[in-house]
Amino acid sequence: MDRRAFLQLAAAPALLADDAPPSYKVVSSYSAVKSPEMPAPYRGVVARVHSDAVIDAANERIDQAVVDRMLSSGIKALTGAKADKDAWAAFFSPGDVVGIKVNCSGAPAIRASPEVIKAITQNLVGVGVKAENIYIYERFLDQLTSVHYERFVPQGVHIVAVETPRGSLMGYDPKTYVEVSFFGEDDTRSNMARLVTERLTKIINVPNVKEHQASGVTGCLKNLAYGDFSNVARSHMRTKTNTLSFIGTLAAVEPLRSKCMLNIMDGICGVWHGGPFSEEKRYRFYPKLMMLGTDPVAIDRLLLDLIEDKRKAEGAPSLWDRSTDKLDPRAHLDFHKNTFIREPGHIEYAATKFGLGEYDRNRIKLHSVEV
Amino acid sequence: MLAAALLLPSLLPGGAAPPAGAVELKAPRVEYRVNEASATRSPWIDSNGWRILRAPGQKFVYKVNGQSAALAGAEAFTYGAGALISTDGPGEIAFGRMLEFLKSVPAEDLTPVADFGVIEDGTDVTGELLNLLTRMNLLYRIEKNPDRGFAVNVRLGTPSYPADEAKNPSFVAHKIRSQIGDDNRSLRIYGSEVVIGRLLKGDHQARVFLVNYANQPVLGLRVRVRGNYSKAELRAGVTAEQPTDFAHDETATEFSIPQLGAFAVIDLSRN
Repeated sequence: MDRRAFLQLAAAPALLADDAPPSYKVVSSYSAVKSPEMPAPYRGVVARVHSDAVIDAANERIDQAVVDRMLSSGIKALTGAKADKDAWAAFFSPGDVVGIKVNCSGAPAIRASPEVIKAITQNLVGVGVKAENIYIYERFLDQLTSVHYERFVPQGVHIVAVETPRGSLMGYDPKTYVEVSFFGEDDTRSNMARLVTERLTKIINVPNVKEHQASGVTGCLKNLAYGDFSNVARSHMRTKTNTLSFIGTLAAVEPLRSKCMLNIMDGICGVWHGGPFSEEKRYRFYPKLMMLGTDPVAIDRLLLDLIEDKRKAEGAPSLWDRSTDKLDPRAHLDFHKNTFIREPGHIEYAATKFGLGEYDRNRIKLHSVEV
Repeated sequence: MLAAALLLPSLLPGGAAPPAGAVELKAPRVEYRVNEASATRSPWIDSNGWRILRAPGQKFVYKVNGQSAALAGAEAFTYGAGALISTDGPGEIAFGRMLEFLKSVPAEDLTPVADFGVIEDGTDVTGELLNLLTRMNLLYRIEKNPDRGFAVNVRLGTPSYPADEAKNPSFVAHKIRSQIGDDNRSLRIYGSEVVIGRLLKGDHQARVFLVNYANQPVLGLRVRVRGNYSKAELRAGVTAEQPTDFAHDETATEFSIPQLGAFAVIDLSRN
C-alpha cells in the first residue's frame, strides 16, 4: 500500500470527527477602546431603505444620486438626526482613521458597490475625516482591484489588500489571533489584520446580501470575521463547516469588535444561491435596499429572512435543511443542492454566546424608508 | 551533538558511480495534487529527513537536477547526513552556492530536540509514521527502548498503538500530536505547509533549521520555539530577511520570517 492510499483510509478526521464545539483560544492584548462597544449604541435597531430606482436590473447599472439619497435617509433614520452631517458626526470625527471593510469575494459580479462606497467616503470627508485617513480594504488584492473603487472615491483614499501576496502572513498581527484546530490542520492560528490593530481607529462594515454555502448567509458578522483574519478557509472540510461558532468568535475579538462602529449592508444586488461567489447570473437578484445599524446580529437576522424567502419563492431548499442527500461539491450550479451542511445558526450563536446583538425578530426595531 | 552532525554534503563527480551501499534518496520537493481526493488539503512533500534519522551513518546519494540540488544539500545538512549530490550543470552551480552558505554556519555544541520517542521496529509502517511526523513538524527521537524522559513513547503494535490503528499512520500521527498537546511542542511553524523545521538546543542557545520544499520563496512565516530567548539571528544563503515581530516570554519565543528561500538557519540566544 502506498502512502497516499494510507491517507485515504479516512485518516485523521476520524479521530477528530465528534460534534463537540471546537476549543478556541483567543489571544489579544487589546481591550475595548471605547464604550459602548458593538452592538451599541443602537442595539436591535435597523434602518432599512428601499428604492425601486436604485438599479436597472437589465444592465445592473446603479444610479449614484439614488444611492446618495438612500444612504442619507438611512443614516438619519438610524440616528434620529435631521442632517447628514450630524448623523455621521455621531460616529466619526476629524481625527479618525476609518477603515471601510468591503466585500469583494464575489467580484466583479457582486461586491460592495462602488457607488455606495463613494457615498460613504464623501460623508466621511464631510465630517472632516481626511481622505488620506480613509482605507478601503479587503483581504485579497485580485478581488479588490477588479472593482476599481479608485474611479469613484476622493483622491487620497487608500485602497489596500491585507494579504499581499495571497498566503503571506505579514499583513496580519502576530500578537492578535484565535487559535483552534478544526481538522488537525498544521497551522492552527487565524491572525487579525494589522491594519485593524495598528492603524484604524474605526471601521465601517459593508457586506452584501448573499447566501453562503457554508454559513447559510454572509452578512455583517461573516464579512467582519472572515474578512479581517487570516487562514479562515480551513474551517470547512468535505461537507462539514465550523462557521457556526467560528464567525462569532472572530467577530468578538478586540480590537475589531470595538472599532466596528457602523454596518451598512449593500443589498442593491444579491445572491440567493451559490454564494459567496456569483458564477451564475441566474442566482442573482435585486432587493434594491440598504440596511444600516450598529447591531450586526439584527441586520443579519433580517438578511436570513430575506434570503430564505427568496429561496422559498424559487423552490430552493431551506437554508436550515440539514439533509445529507443534497450535498454535492458542484452545488453552486444547482440550487437544489449544497456543498456543505449550512450553519445559519451562526447569527444566533454570536448573539447568545458573545452578546453581539439582538437576534429575536420581535425585539428588532425596524425603521423602513422608501426612497 | 551538532559538532558531529555538521556534515557537509558534497558533489558526486559527473559520471562517477555512487559508493557501494549508498541509499538513493528522493528528490526533495512539493507535489500539488489539487484534483486528487485526499484526507487533507495539504500539499504532499517528498522529504527524506526521516530516512536519514532512521539510518545514522548510512551513505546517501541524491540524483537531482537544477535548483533541487541546492535543496537536497540543505536537507542533508539539516539532518546531519554527509550525502553525495549527483546533478547537472545548473545543479552544480545551485549546489555550489548552497555549499558556500552551509560552510559559513558555525558549529555549535547543540543537541537535537525531541518531544517524544518512537521505538524503531524496522517496519514500513513505522517508516511511514516517521515520514508523517516529520512532515507535521512533530519532533521525535528514534529509540531502541522507551525513554522515561518522554511522556509519550510510541511503539506500534502495542495496546497504546494497536496494529490495526497503525495501518493508518495519519491517524496515529494526529493521535500523538493530541497526546503531546500543541502548546507543549518545542517547534511550531505557522503560515506555510511546505516548510519543515528542525530544532537543536544547547545550554543558552537554540538553532532552528527551516527547509522550504517549494520551488519558490515562502512569504511570511511565523515560528514558535519553546524556551525564552532574547535574540534571533538569521543566517541564509539567498532570499531571506531578518526575523521581525520578535517576542518572547517565560514559555516561548516567536518571530516572523518575511521571506524564506530554500533554506535558513536561525540562531537564538539568551543574551
